[in-house]
Amino acid sequence: MDGLQEFAKRLAEIRRGMRDKGLQTLLVYDSGRHNFLRMNYVAYLTDFISVGPETMLVLPLEEAPVLYLSPVWDIARAQEESWVTDIRPFKEFWSRLAHLTGKVGIVGREVLSAGLHDEIVKSLGQAPVNAKDVIENIARCKTDFELARLRRAAAIADAGVKALHEDAHAGLKEYELAAIVEYRMRSLGAEDNFGMVVANSHNQALHPPTDRVVQPGDIIIGEITPCIGGLFVQICRTMVLGQPAPVVQEKYAILKEAMGLGMEAAKTGAPASAIAAAINGTLTDAGYEKYCRPPFMRVRGHGLGCGSSAPGNLEDGNQTRLEKGMTFIIHPNQYIPETGYMTLGDTVVMTAQKAEALTRSSWDIYVKD
Amino acid sequence: MIFGRHSVLKRGCSTWVKEQMPQEEFEGRLEAARREMARQDLAALVIYGDNYSFADLCYLANYFPKVRGGIAVVPQSGAISLLLNIGSRDVPFAKTLTWVEDVRASNQVGGDGVKLLAEKGLDRANIGLVDSGQGFPLPQLEEMKIGLPHVQWKACHSLFEPMRLKKSARELSALCAAGKLLQEIGAGAQSFVKQGRKEYEIVADIDRLARDKGAEDIRILAGATRLNPPSFKQSTALGNHWALYLAVQHERYWAEAGRTFVLSNDATLRAAYEKAREIVGQMAAQLKPGGAAAAIDETARRALGEIYPTASMYGLGNGIGLGQWEAPFFSADDARQVGSPSVGAATLNGNMTLALRVCFETEGKLILFGESFRVTATGPSSLLSG
Repeated sequence: MDGLQEFAKRLAEIRRGMRDKGLQTLLVYDSGRHNFLRMNYVAYLTDFISVGPETMLVLPLEEAPVLYLSPVWDIARAQEESWVTDIRPFKEFWSRLAHLTGKVGIVGREVLSAGLHDEIVKSLGQAPVNAKDVIENIARCKTDFELARLRRAAAIADAGVKALHEDAHAGLKEYELAAIVEYRMRSLGAEDNFGMVVANSHNQALHPPTDRVVQPGDIIIGEITPCIGGLFVQICRTMVLGQPAPVVQEKYAILKEAMGLGMEAAKTGAPASAIAAAINGTLTDAGYEKYCRPPFMRVRGHGLGCGSSAPGNLEDGNQTRLEKGMTFIIHPNQYIPETGYMTLGDTVVMTAQKAEALTRSSWDIYVKD
Repeated sequence: MIFGRHSVLKRGCSTWVKEQMPQEEFEGRLEAARREMARQDLAALVIYGDNYSFADLCYLANYFPKVRGGIAVVPQSGAISLLLNIGSRDVPFAKTLTWVEDVRASNQVGGDGVKLLAEKGLDRANIGLVDSGQGFPLPQLEEMKIGLPHVQWKACHSLFEPMRLKKSARELSALCAAGKLLQEIGAGAQSFVKQGRKEYEIVADIDRLARDKGAEDIRILAGATRLNPPSFKQSTALGNHWALYLAVQHERYWAEAGRTFVLSNDATLRAAYEKAREIVGQMAAQLKPGGAAAAIDETARRALGEIYPTASMYGLGNGIGLGQWEAPFFSADDARQVGSPSVGAATLNGNMTLALRVCFETEGKLILFGESFRVTATGPSSLLSG
């Protein structure tokens, strides 16, 4: 299915959802702050990632959609990249708004400022209803179109890990380690990266890199998340500069076991919490129950947004059923008092029966002599 | 205004160099803020910031959010608190970036903000809300306001603007460091920009250079006919010309530049680029204490003639500092685009810092030149070349 067919299909499904809710028009907003922690609804419906500050897709039930955006100079890019063909300056949105009739839904309240929301309510003469479910419901399972991008992003994530294995060495600063990964992935087309790569003999947690100089024997942990076409794939891996102490291998083996059991628990139809239970159970059996809770750990993975962030966080109590086509990261990343924080995780897609990893790097701890 | 693809995470070097920006700098700012709070009869401020718009939060706390946002609660007296949308295990790292001792984790800043304000006895107070970037997520803000029905809220989005307009000696030093870094990146970029290379490969090289030099963040937009953010869709092989916009954040402060690479002897393109440089030079000549901000725009209007409307679409300039776009703005529309209620200042002061740029098309190709400057008594001083 090509992009235009995909767009037409999404539009038809959204309009079905609008009819079910009695909506005449849907206002879909984005602030130009693309973020994998939530869905970018405008990107989902246009294939255009705005740079902001104001992007509003007006989607009537019957007429063609119109994309209003600022800055004006970015309209040319939108015309080339977007599935929507009618693209206008954001300031024209206000006159359109004043002429809308019937029940109006809004999607993207999470990134709407209070001031802009108030202006919309005033111009519209009604408070639009929060209608994000209309999009979230149809986006929860990735299509082949999205999976093609995710597989490309996954290959780039693996390349980022490989670059780290090849080029990491003592004497670099943490931010230079992070730059190694970033560079390889950007060179392959990655648009963005939620990337944290840090090194220490005893890491407390993942965090953005500092200017600390990497030492022989350091454990390097990474959470690497490249983006292609707005879609993110995450991978978490651990490496050591020099032969690790036996306790590091011993404790890392617990993460590998937890990862395996987490993958096994990820069965289509099972609740998302089953994965967290499998991972936490492994660590509890190893004597680390208290380290499975805050302030050490909380979730064992999560959806990756832009599209949908379904099934949400892999944590106790999340009864969301895993469905074919859902994509998310499973990561039994763990702080262990004897070794510090270590990382392991793959992005998976749910098949008809089970989870299939999109990322391919070995789960083994990578030892670089 | 030139907006770039906002990164999902501030993932560059994240440190606080206390020798360059010591705690006493922030204590002075806090005193000034509290004087203004007293004048406005405010018992406290709630300052919102996120990784997109962190300037006011950072001005007081030195903290800049890496992913999601958070608030600072600043009572008229007593300790400041930071309530950040981070995990509890991230608190120790967050504390390395701020002098504020009370740093708390939350995944519901609105609801937990209610509890924090009540804990400080501020649940019936006059509170100023500072959200100059208009980024406070609506559901969280609504939750906070509903949870505190007896609080009198006052919009104070511009409260820090007069303080931030005039840079301190330490801020100027930080801005010069950011400018120097940008100069090095721009110089290095020359060796990457070659005909036949894919655009995203060149962007990767520039990004790597910036990261290796310790940049906290970088914005890159580039293209032959328009400014594009990094995208896998931009895989075109470079021709004989490329316009490049760069903004870099270093130790919290931004510097901005624009350059055009003409990779042939095309006289028209070379002349157009020279014209852009000259116009920015003429605009910069207006940067003097007591000068009118409007004179910069007027200079550009005269020099650009019929292409002024195109150039002004990109914005001809703005203040720069903790914000990539901050007062003074040259037009109300520029200010509105970044959530500022006004242009900020009509008259220039010594030690203001501004980014100036000229962007237009020649024969269908984009020409861009931009530079960041400091206003001094003896005229403009480039932050890039000192």
